[in-house]
Amino acid sequence: MEPILYKVFGAVVTIILAFVVGMTYMGLSRKITARVQNRVGPPVYQNFLDALKLISKKTAIHHGIMQMMGPAFFMVTSIGSLMFIPVLNDGRFFSNLNFEGDLVFLLYLMVFGPLGMALGAGQTGNPNSAIGVTRGLSQMVGFEIPWVMALVALMIQYDTTSIVGLMEAQSASGTWLVFSSPFAFIAAVLAMLGMFRYSPFDIVGAPTELASGPVAENGGKYLFTMMSSNSIFAFVKLTLYVDLFLGGADNLIELLIKTFAIYLIPMLYGLVSPRYRTEQAVRYFWGWPLFFGFLAIMYAVVF
Amino acid sequence: MMNDKNSQKIVDIIQNYARLHSLFVLAYGTGCGAIEIPPTMTSRYDAERFGIRGAATPRQADVLLITGYLTTKTLKRVIRVYEQMQDPKYVIGFGSCTINGGMYWDSYNTIKVLDKYLPVDVYINGCMPRPEAVIAGFVKLQSLIREGKAEGAKLYKDNLEQYRENQKKVIPNWVMPEYNW
Amino acid sequence: MEMIHLILIIFLGGAVLTYFAGKVNDILRDALFILSILVPAILFFTNVNPESYIDLSIAGFNMKWGITHFGWIFSLIVLGLGVIVSFYAVSFMKGRDKVGSFYFNFILSIGAMLGILLSQDFVSFFIFWEIMTWSSYLMVVYNGNQVQKIGIKYFVFSAVGAYAMLMAIVITHSITGSFLITDLIAVFPQLSNQMHILIPILFLIGFGVKSAMMPLHVWAPGAYSNTPMAYTSVFSGALSKMGVYGMVLIMITLISHIPEGHWFREVIAWMGAFTAVLGTLWAVAQDDAKKLLAYSSVAQLGYIITGVAIGTELAMLSALFLSILHALFKGTLFMAVGAIEKQTGTSNFTEVSGLIRKMPWTFLASLMAIIALAGIPPLGGFVGKWMLYESLINSNHYILVIMIFFSSTAAFLYCYKFLFGFFLGQEEKEWAHVKEAPALMVVPMIILAAGTFILGAYPGLILSPIDAGMQAIGFEATQGHYWEMSVILNQWGDQVVLQPIVYAIFAIFLFFFLFLFFKSRKNTRYVTTKDISSSGEVPLEHENLTFSQNFFQPFLRAVEPVMRRQIDKYYNEFGRGLEAIFDFGRRIYTGNGQTYAIYVIIFVIILLFFKNNLFG
Repeated sequence: MEPILYKVFGAVVTIILAFVVGMTYMGLSRKITARVQNRVGPPVYQNFLDALKLISKKTAIHHGIMQMMGPAFFMVTSIGSLMFIPVLNDGRFFSNLNFEGDLVFLLYLMVFGPLGMALGAGQTGNPNSAIGVTRGLSQMVGFEIPWVMALVALMIQYDTTSIVGLMEAQSASGTWLVFSSPFAFIAAVLAMLGMFRYSPFDIVGAPTELASGPVAENGGKYLFTMMSSNSIFAFVKLTLYVDLFLGGADNLIELLIKTFAIYLIPMLYGLVSPRYRTEQAVRYFWGWPLFFGFLAIMYAVVF
Repeated sequence: MMNDKNSQKIVDIIQNYARLHSLFVLAYGTGCGAIEIPPTMTSRYDAERFGIRGAATPRQADVLLITGYLTTKTLKRVIRVYEQMQDPKYVIGFGSCTINGGMYWDSYNTIKVLDKYLPVDVYINGCMPRPEAVIAGFVKLQSLIREGKAEGAKLYKDNLEQYRENQKKVIPNWVMPEYNW
Repeated sequence: MEMIHLILIIFLGGAVLTYFAGKVNDILRDALFILSILVPAILFFTNVNPESYIDLSIAGFNMKWGITHFGWIFSLIVLGLGVIVSFYAVSFMKGRDKVGSFYFNFILSIGAMLGILLSQDFVSFFIFWEIMTWSSYLMVVYNGNQVQKIGIKYFVFSAVGAYAMLMAIVITHSITGSFLITDLIAVFPQLSNQMHILIPILFLIGFGVKSAMMPLHVWAPGAYSNTPMAYTSVFSGALSKMGVYGMVLIMITLISHIPEGHWFREVIAWMGAFTAVLGTLWAVAQDDAKKLLAYSSVAQLGYIITGVAIGTELAMLSALFLSILHALFKGTLFMAVGAIEKQTGTSNFTEVSGLIRKMPWTFLASLMAIIALAGIPPLGGFVGKWMLYESLINSNHYILVIMIFFSSTAAFLYCYKFLFGFFLGQEEKEWAHVKEAPALMVVPMIILAAGTFILGAYPGLILSPIDAGMQAIGFEATQGHYWEMSVILNQWGDQVVLQPIVYAIFAIFLFFFLFLFFKSRKNTRYVTTKDISSSGEVPLEHENLTFSQNFFQPFLRAVEPVMRRQIDKYYNEFGRGLEAIFDFGRRIYTGNGQTYAIYVIIFVIILLFFKNNLFG
């Protein structure tokens, strides 16, 4: 088979996997939320129906070319970062671009999505969108700091910046990074609460006060693109956490179990939390998460 | 072999299946009926098991739920919201007020028959209709979508002049963008 | 005649000729202006070879002119930016007053900057430095009386820097007996401990002022935002890099060789990081685009200073790469603000909104520059940032990594504010008349913005002259083990391979953009920004719903404790104290002849007293 065609094929398969898993997890989260609230809840495949419905909307509007570019930028972030993350250990799944980017690159790629979304939202001229964007960007500045600290701690400890390198370090030492650098894991998990935007950090969408914020003007195909790139992005983040802290996965079943375990943390935390105000959310990340980030770096320097 | 018409039919069936199981509702809480929506959506009656969930803005919504009486002042906003929704879109009239005025039948500032101003797909009668009735209304809408009979948007587009005439009759200061579909 | 002389004479003569040609004919003046920057630039890049020097002796001073490989990198910034901006400036200055003096100062400062790079001895270095300061000062006060205070601030800081530098030069001369830079470098390691500290500090004050390092940065926001935007591109893009150029000379060639150098560099690196953080936070708080970009320039120079101060190979690569990148994207952004100001008459975010459909090319240039500024792959800024992080982690500066990262994440806030404030948001009737800026203004912007893009995909293009320059100041060759064309490598051997990434990103973007564009194309209609879902209300034409007041208020509330103290206040207090002293001094001059007579008598008595005591 032609190598370039093979690569494209691998990328497509990875994207489909990420899409399906991400969508299913979101459906599961709705189901679990419902069960926690003593409801029956929608079926697990509900999000697929939503996506199908959104894409089969007959009409759409646009406020300008930027509104179309915004979701496309977000998709670049989701799929782009998916390409850099090893899905399974030892390159057992398609390796895509795994060996060609490192953690710093990934960090920058991952913040591009919100900025692209923000541009798309800005073009619509809806004041709610702009307010949502300012909230989202502020919150991003908040949680990026502990998250970067955790990653820097890992980089120091294992003398590599590449994700594959960190995974190899884990399989070489036979222990997961969650045990060998626990503070980094704590900082990263606390940062993850903000990254997933569940309560109490759902200040961006905030349906009741901002009319869903940045996506207020987007329905149909735009919402479909955002929804699918959101679910791919969720898969990316979860897989990244598993790769970095839980020793990766040897097969898809293991990957699903581990990622879902990680996914439960922000979801269950969100179920019992009300919403923060923006400055509270920002300051939250500069409290204990920052402290654990410092601990992680000190731990990495000392050991 | 499959011809175009048949394949279109299959696509329609699939799309309609998705549409009927995923209804994003914009509950326009105009009147007293708005109080029935929270119990419908939350734990007691749990409308989400039918794929019904709230939408924050008209751009994302499929169903416009008009809960109760409409004053002429509110009617203008409701029309605006309806026109901002994207095809295919449905209207559910909730409560007796939307059918014939209900207890406001002789009020000077409410409209009596919603259907004159917006194409209503399903009426839910009662004053107030209980959440069970609301869910029954949604199920009725779902079966209409399945049969492909919920064509309110098409009706509105085809008879736009007639609707506009009715709307302008009750709304004196008509400053609205054109409905360009 | 030597080529270098010819180039400098063309600059000087061109400046004077342009000034006087303005009295005759406008078109002649414009043509002369462009030519007197373009011709020397062409001559320089075609005829001047690096590392070939000429000696000359004027009034007993031995001077040496010529360009090193290292200076050549900066000449690329100065002349490249100068030429491109000069085209823009012609269009920008059309219909304004004092065009002649603007052109005069513009040419002079470009010439002076090139002169700084050419001079290999401290005398001519200082002379050109002063010419640069003066011409830029005249640009700062271009707007007349209302900017006197800002002009004075700039001038006082420049003067302090210049005197510090002069003092260092005099000390150097008294020690080495020579003004040549190479002599100082050769002698420096043998000097006493005191001199090891004193000379670098004095030089750094001089260079730190120009590159707006943290306690010396207070002149920058005012000065950057009040010069005509056509010049600010050069001011922020190239002129501030002269400070970086000087700093590299000091940091790398002097203090690397002494034992105290280590902590010295640490201090500078930390100051650079603080500059970056505070500059960014203040940039977020600004409502005026010029001020925002000015603070952002301060912050960006903070990264560069940190990179220079760390001084490993990768850090130097990144600092020099970022210098060039900063010239490109900040040049573009200042030009974009200039274009918007020319078309709308204001540069305030709270007044302008929704220009994207009116000025699409300006928007495109700004968007690319902003993406480069934010350091997002695949544009150039990312390469520089990536190298900076890797070098900081490799050299164990972990807290600095966090600070720089915080600053560059918070930079997203003002990046978005810039784009949103001008181009996005609701389109207003008030700005319905706005047209795209003239082609002469748009094309230079697009060229510079495209430059950031090319450097992002092919950083090797610019890394090879940087590599040559770094070898000239004593680094090992980085080619091969650090980078090859578009491949970067850090010390751990991890790398970012840019080209497949760039292709992948483009493919994904294009695919989804086309999907959104063509999906149910017939049934997708354009609606104005007034047609938004705002609770069923229809906003009227004059109702501006754009959210632009207190844009990042929640964020600023969260970081409020950091921003409460302003260093500017201390300087102002200090200035007020001085003023009080001078005011007291002024009272001596009463205007009464009798009083002056008494002063004379007292003076004579004191003189007599001293004479008798000291010499008697």
